[in-house]
Amino acid sequence: MQRAVSSYPFAPSVKVKLLNAGFHSAADLCDLRPLQLSKEAGISQEEAVEVLQAVRCEPGQERAAASQLTALELLEREQELGSIVTFCSALDTALGGGLPVGKTTEVCGAPGVGKTQLCIQLAVDAQIPVCFGGLGGKSLYIDTEGSFLVQRAVDIAQAAVEHCGLLAEDAEQQESLKEFTVETVLSNLFLVRCHDYVELLAETYLLADFLAHHPEIRLVVIDSIAFPFRHDFDDLSQRTRLLNGLAQQLIQMATNHNVAVILTNQMTTKVWNGHSKLVPALGESWGHAATQRLILHWEGTNRLASLYKSPSQTEATVRYQITAQGFRDVPHSNQPKASVDPTVSQSGSMSKRPRMEEV
Amino acid sequence: MASKKLRRTGLSVELCDRLKRHQIENCQDLLSLTPIEVMRLAGQSYQQVLVLLKSVSQSCAPSMTTALEVWKQRADLCFSTSLPGLDRLLQGGLSRGTLTEVTGPSGCGKSQMCMMLSVLATLPKSMGGLDSGVIYIDTESAFSAERLLEIAQSRFPDYFSKERVLEMAGRVHVFRELTCQDLLNRLKRLDEDIISSKAGLVILDSVASVVRKEYDTSLPGNLAHRSNLLGQEAATLKYLAQAFRIPVVLTNQITTHVGDGGERGAVSFTGGNYDNQEVAHQGTDPGLQPIRVWTGFNYNLMKDTCAASGQLKLL
Repeated sequence: MQRAVSSYPFAPSVKVKLLNAGFHSAADLCDLRPLQLSKEAGISQEEAVEVLQAVRCEPGQERAAASQLTALELLEREQELGSIVTFCSALDTALGGGLPVGKTTEVCGAPGVGKTQLCIQLAVDAQIPVCFGGLGGKSLYIDTEGSFLVQRAVDIAQAAVEHCGLLAEDAEQQESLKEFTVETVLSNLFLVRCHDYVELLAETYLLADFLAHHPEIRLVVIDSIAFPFRHDFDDLSQRTRLLNGLAQQLIQMATNHNVAVILTNQMTTKVWNGHSKLVPALGESWGHAATQRLILHWEGTNRLASLYKSPSQTEATVRYQITAQGFRDVPHSNQPKASVDPTVSQSGSMSKRPRMEEV
Repeated sequence: MASKKLRRTGLSVELCDRLKRHQIENCQDLLSLTPIEVMRLAGQSYQQVLVLLKSVSQSCAPSMTTALEVWKQRADLCFSTSLPGLDRLLQGGLSRGTLTEVTGPSGCGKSQMCMMLSVLATLPKSMGGLDSGVIYIDTESAFSAERLLEIAQSRFPDYFSKERVLEMAGRVHVFRELTCQDLLNRLKRLDEDIISSKAGLVILDSVASVVRKEYDTSLPGNLAHRSNLLGQEAATLKYLAQAFRIPVVLTNQITTHVGDGGERGAVSFTGGNYDNQEVAHQGTDPGLQPIRVWTGFNYNLMKDTCAASGQLKLL
């Protein structure tokens, strides 16, 4: 009850009038009727009602009661949510079953390494029916670069449908296969093309409503988040502010609507101490935005995926390949020791901590 | 839609005036602020600001579609390059609505390929063309009208009679831009040119030459400036490709990348993330993303340009 009036989300003019009238904390305002308040503070009657409702309902206490979960309940909830497979079993194991639903993941990599492929694969995999171990949900693909090619999505969808067809054993699976065709996969893949950062921000503001209207959506892909923010900004601090706001909104959406959010980032060259290194773009502070970070990189002709940051999994580097069917494992005979020890890769790179001290 | 004026988004007039006093006139200005800043400038409460931002977002957000609808419209999604091997590689041909980059060392035939594509674009649809005009932006003065006519007449001697050849030449609009700023200005105005010349193909030959002339990347700050410029160019071209659903072809030069071995495109658009397809011409050199695994393709330059020889090699 001692909360200061200036900390409430009222309009600035209303706050000024309340403070001038001598109301400094919430305790001063309780037990007042709207008409009295409006006369004393000089605000309109509607504003007075708004103020009193905000002060009275004490959302702080209610929210605390509602979000008081025990870790056990959280564990059950997380297990219910499931994850989205990537069809590369090594990567799925490293991620702890697949891409986690309810969290944001960032995928960084040099051009051509397979980020968009992974995103399209996940957009298809999110739709795998529940009886095959999938989520049976829909996907939203926000494309800012124009790299979404529908032909590729068709190929990947076809391969996924065939794969499930081979696995189908009992009647239930056969039944659900009828719903899981290339056509339905494509029709459940929503596509938005944003041409600049303003459209991306606008889309994010509308995303919460969209997800509320389409509760079956389980995956939101933003490919890529770096492109619109990299070349149009002179004011870098504004860019950081906008990116932080964006990251917050995405995390909120991931938790409130039970979706997995995956963002693609580009790499930039950082020159420092006479060496140059490839680091994820958008700056250091953006590194804190996503809950998990996956870095895709080359080593010779091999493609490697490193789990760089994760709250629950250990760092690991796995090999993968991109085939005509999509994102896949490298066949076992060629698989080197999928190292859990992150000291591979002499390019001095992204699979090792600490990051700044290494040369 | 970013530059849509706030007045047209359905906001009240006093609110628009109030925001105008703080130099917030269009959607871009408003959405670039955080909600707390908007609270202060618009004088509204937090909840009201969220509603305000949502309504402004609705008026400038892009429309949503599904992959199925895009797939249904794919029928005329490709522009055949007339080289069956290359078409197979590109899964039908040059994709409409995306950028394609043609890279290679000097003298290997990039400008020749561009000229051939120009001829093809003016052919009627029954012959695999686009039956449209062509916009050719030449930064290296490599475009030769005589060569264009020679290609047309050698490749399609039956179709291109005297008048037809001249008519074809009249549909290819050539712009010579020799500095970076000129090029950028031209690109910004290109949508008007595309509409007035009914262009179905845009060729930019080459991206690298102006930039390499003007920016010495060993000087500090130049690299960022150059990347910025390239970024703007790429974004404009992508937008044009997508909005008009036409193929856009760029050529790039090759530079040797010391350390890794191998060669790369000279000018990579901030990490090469800007192109959708890359076709490297070097006899057998690889390059393709994001559709296929690395493949190679042999070709020959002849009088009628780029007749295919040899087969596809998978690398």
